[in-house]
Amino acid sequence: MIEPVALKDFFITFFSSALIILAGAAYALLFAWSKINSHTGIKIGALAAYAVLVASVLELTRAAQFQGYWLIISVAMVIGYFFAPIGIWHLCVKTHGHPDDTSIKTKIQEDEQ
Amino acid sequence: MNTPQLDNVIPKPASVLDKARIYRDKFKAWVNLDSSNLTAGQQLAVKYFTVAVILFVAQILFGLLSALQFIYPGFLYGILDFNVNRMVHINAMIVWMLYGFIGSIYWLIEDESGTEIVGLKWANIAFWVLTGAVTLVVLVYLFVQVGPGKDSSLWFINEGREYIEAPRWADLGITAVMLVFFYNVVATFSKGNWSGIAGVLVLDLIALVGLYLAGMFYMTNITHDQYWWWWVIHLWVEATWEVLVGVIMAWSLMKLLGVRRKIVQTWLYIEVALMFGSGILGLGHHYFWIGMPEYWLSVGGFFSALEPIPLVAMVVHAIYDSGVHAFKTVNHPALAWVIAHAFGNFFGAGVWGFMHTLPQINLYTHGTQWSASHGHLSFFGAYATINIAFFYLAIQQWRGNVWMAAGTRHAWRWKWALGLLNAGVVGMTVALLIAGYEQSFIERAVEGSTWAGYFAAQNQPSFQHAMNWRMFFGLVTAAGLGLLVWDLLTIGKYEERKAEKVVEKVIVH
Repeated sequence: MIEPVALKDFFITFFSSALIILAGAAYALLFAWSKINSHTGIKIGALAAYAVLVASVLELTRAAQFQGYWLIISVAMVIGYFFAPIGIWHLCVKTHGHPDDTSIKTKIQEDEQ
Repeated sequence: MNTPQLDNVIPKPASVLDKARIYRDKFKAWVNLDSSNLTAGQQLAVKYFTVAVILFVAQILFGLLSALQFIYPGFLYGILDFNVNRMVHINAMIVWMLYGFIGSIYWLIEDESGTEIVGLKWANIAFWVLTGAVTLVVLVYLFVQVGPGKDSSLWFINEGREYIEAPRWADLGITAVMLVFFYNVVATFSKGNWSGIAGVLVLDLIALVGLYLAGMFYMTNITHDQYWWWWVIHLWVEATWEVLVGVIMAWSLMKLLGVRRKIVQTWLYIEVALMFGSGILGLGHHYFWIGMPEYWLSVGGFFSALEPIPLVAMVVHAIYDSGVHAFKTVNHPALAWVIAHAFGNFFGAGVWGFMHTLPQINLYTHGTQWSASHGHLSFFGAYATINIAFFYLAIQQWRGNVWMAAGTRHAWRWKWALGLLNAGVVGMTVALLIAGYEQSFIERAVEGSTWAGYFAAQNQPSFQHAMNWRMFFGLVTAAGLGLLVWDLLTIGKYEERKAEKVVEKVIVH
């Protein structure tokens, strides 16, 4: 059973839903960037984006009146959006590994010299 | 009656045909495209692309008429009614995208399989049959939509299912044409080389044809009817079309950026798993309010929350690639449209979709202009953009594989076309979002979905202003499309530099 959103919570429901996706993407972007650039500010930015995501999930949970098993969606979003970029990054590293890369790197180094 | 005088007024058919031939020859001389640069399969593909662009123009034209009828409800009333304009607007969009996809597959299949297309003669016949059928269906949409509804109407006039209104004879024809297309694809790969891309494509085409059949049989119970109808609409758009675009993108990335086959194929498999994993049961968000059991509320809500995950994967992968690989392309317009695709897909499908997909809020938003807002941005972002990118790849080869990157003559045209089309669609999306918000608030939440509530919402100043802005941005979109067509016909016309072969390079940090 669901409890429809209250009239006063219309805007915050749309806004927090949109912010979940935007903050999720911002966290993914900054997390991936922090892997290729070790600047501490980027890591802090990634964590800040994730904090926004968690706050948005909490607000959506309140506004959309999630109860009972509907809370699984909130938990899944908090955990899923945290680990998905980490897993996908590992997939990127594993799938891009290629023995030819060494020769390509050497060639670029030669070109640069 | 003075016949000689009448002869002077009414032109003879032969002279009309002669004039048409003269104009056609002049047009061909102006565009100056050399089909000897294309393989037989690519020549068939550009026929599909040509019809796709014509239907794209029709989509925008009928969209503008529908938008105008929101502002002036009496405009063309009884002559070209809103329901007809809207139907042609949406059907033209679906069909031009399918033409684009089929053309793209015919374009890449010879390169991918390493052999000529098997059954090319049948493929050409199928193209003309499909184009003839589409023309006839549009004429019936425009001129034969008023009168009593009988059993025969389903067969010859209109099947009545939103977005796939084509009468049943056309349904059967489309299925037959798709089976010929399927035969061409399978037989060509069987004769040449199979690949990961080929395997995904063939399995996806089976699903594409199979799912279309779900929208063809007549049911008396509206819940049953809607249940199967959504199989076509949702599972085409959020599953099989997404995978088809994944196939086209995989091949395009190898050609545009020189990405290695092993990488694109591996990520194609990952994408298929993510798309099908979240997309198939995401179907549930269409079953909320059509009389289906209550468990669909939870199933639809849960899987809709998962649907943005492939988009997050895309963000991570893009950053990885930009950091580890130095990409260089010889086709700037195509790459720009691929980038527009990434953003459009993320915002249109991801952000705009999730904003109103949970049942707690969808109770108020479904079927309002909110859905139209989501539809405009997601269809444009996910599908129109990738087709346009492919048109630029095709025109580059049609001109003799010329250089289309830095220093291209009249580059402002493609840049302005890109800017105007994107600004136009985003503007329409925001205008419809405002209208949808107001509609779901006033009509649904305050007035309780009554007829009085419907008219109260339609008469609100914010709704009416939003419709004016939608019209304005529709005109911006139309201007962008005009420029795009002009650019596609002329880009690379005087270019003599040849495109270099693109190879992937790894950055050393």
